[in-house]
Amino acid sequence: MMPIFTAILIAALLVIITGFFCLTQTRNLLRVIIGVEVAMKGVTLLLAFAGYINGNYDLVQAFIITMIVMEVVVAVVAAGIAVRVYEKNDSLDIRKLTKLQG
Amino acid sequence: MPASLTFATAALIVLPLLAILILNIVNKQAGQKIALNVALVVTVIQMIAVLICGSLLVTGGKGSIDFSVFWDMNANLSASFFTVDFFSLVVLFSIGMVAFISAMVAKRGVNGKELNFTNLLMVILLGMNGIAMVGDFFSLYVFLEITGICSFVMIALYHSKEGLEGAFKYLLMSCVATAFLLISMAFLFMQVGSLRFTDLTIALSGWATGEGDLFVTIAFICFIAGIAIKTGLMPFHSWLPDAYQSAPAAVSVLLGGIVSKVCGVYIIIRVLSSFFENIPEVGIAVGLLAIISICFGAIAAAAQNDFKRILAYSSISQIGYIALGIAAGGPIGFIGAMLHFFNHATFKTTLFVDSAILEESVGSTDIEQMGGLEKQLPVANVTTILSLLSTSGIPPLAGFWSKALIIIAVWQAGFHFTAFLAILASVFTLVYFLRLQRKVFFGPAEEHLAEVKESRGTLAFSAIALSVVTIGVGVLFPLILRFLQAQGLL
Repeated sequence: MMPIFTAILIAALLVIITGFFCLTQTRNLLRVIIGVEVAMKGVTLLLAFAGYINGNYDLVQAFIITMIVMEVVVAVVAAGIAVRVYEKNDSLDIRKLTKLQG
Repeated sequence: MPASLTFATAALIVLPLLAILILNIVNKQAGQKIALNVALVVTVIQMIAVLICGSLLVTGGKGSIDFSVFWDMNANLSASFFTVDFFSLVVLFSIGMVAFISAMVAKRGVNGKELNFTNLLMVILLGMNGIAMVGDFFSLYVFLEITGICSFVMIALYHSKEGLEGAFKYLLMSCVATAFLLISMAFLFMQVGSLRFTDLTIALSGWATGEGDLFVTIAFICFIAGIAIKTGLMPFHSWLPDAYQSAPAAVSVLLGGIVSKVCGVYIIIRVLSSFFENIPEVGIAVGLLAIISICFGAIAAAAQNDFKRILAYSSISQIGYIALGIAAGGPIGFIGAMLHFFNHATFKTTLFVDSAILEESVGSTDIEQMGGLEKQLPVANVTTILSLLSTSGIPPLAGFWSKALIIIAVWQAGFHFTAFLAILASVFTLVYFLRLQRKVFFGPAEEHLAEVKESRGTLAFSAIALSVVTIGVGVLFPLILRFLQAQGLL
């Protein structure tokens, strides 16, 4: 029987890896953003787990709430850029973002 | 704490917020008109405040000052506060200077978007000031995100195809970098129970005795991966040239001049010199990435045909020198890195201002289309020569001294071959910059550029002022060294 905190640690790392794997597989701008968000959720879980281990619940609560706010702002900016890219290119395919090279 | 000091330190955080408030309370037309002037005033006050802080540090004989702005820092043990020491003052001064120049460039560059630009400039100023002064890892993350988000929006300010592409690439890489940094923070927090730099220093100082702890090792690896992406060191550099090239002129001055340095290499210096100091593996890893970046940046820059892209690869190379100085360790390496930070902010900003002059007068930054602009653009010509000589380390310009200090530190640390490579790459810097100079300014005049004229205004003023700083710091360098010796830093 696996101790509960090892299980949480493995789960958090798996969520992070899933997010990064999504980044490598998808060719769609919105799915890229979703991949990043999934990875960040894993990081949030990891941070909560860190607070659980050393009993610093109040500090870690403040961290996580701040982190969620920052994450939402990043997601909004990313989605805004994706919308503009769609207007310009008529496609969300990242393979069409080839203006800058070299 | 004396009243003048309270004013000076609070000005660094409160003033940008106040400026945003003022600009958005008045109606939009008025805001549009006064926006850039407000930005100029705020940045000038920031530079003055930094000088006041510096003089108080010297007269007070203290190494650093702790302060908080909106709450009492003594109220709670885990309350976070700001810390100002000499190095952060140098950084804060560079931030003020580059933001001032960026606002000057924006006077010609951002038609109709003055208010948007200034709001973003103020927030990014706040974010960078925060990074330069924070005392704990989590606040560092918050300010890092503030700065990052503003730079994404600023790169895509005009919704051009290039701008959107550059902004999205930067955003994506930056998200991955912050994920790594947060993983590192989580593991450190798991181990130590606090994220304040002072607590981490104490907790990790006993670690070097050889007892390998898996969690701390993972934290180091994730920290280096995250910060290398943010800095744009060699294997993680892909976003940097794209972001610099696609940004509007005033924004690329800001990005290339200061943002990527404060977000990346400053944090490396701060963290490495405070709590990863005892772990030689971290220094070796950063040094390795640094020397790869130095060589690769110099070689890749020689193959580019866009003015801003050459500057971007040159930035990768020069940031490598700063990271190398800090990886070499010791007071000489630290001072060298600190001064190269300032010098790099000066000469790279000059070069980006020159690219703004070219963009305004010629209409593009493609160096293949230019030639013989020496007579038509005298200010751009002379300032480009000066700053490229400074970049490649020709005495008596400022860049020579800081590079010399860094290479001495590397040599003293025993890495002779690395020092040799660094000198070789410095010579190569001269190669790619001479190619740039020959293609753009020297040689026979191109027919279609006969009508090009240089505008006498804020752009030319910025380039000249920065060149004066480069020459001044170079000529007065012995005095600066003696001052640092008197302060016990060297």
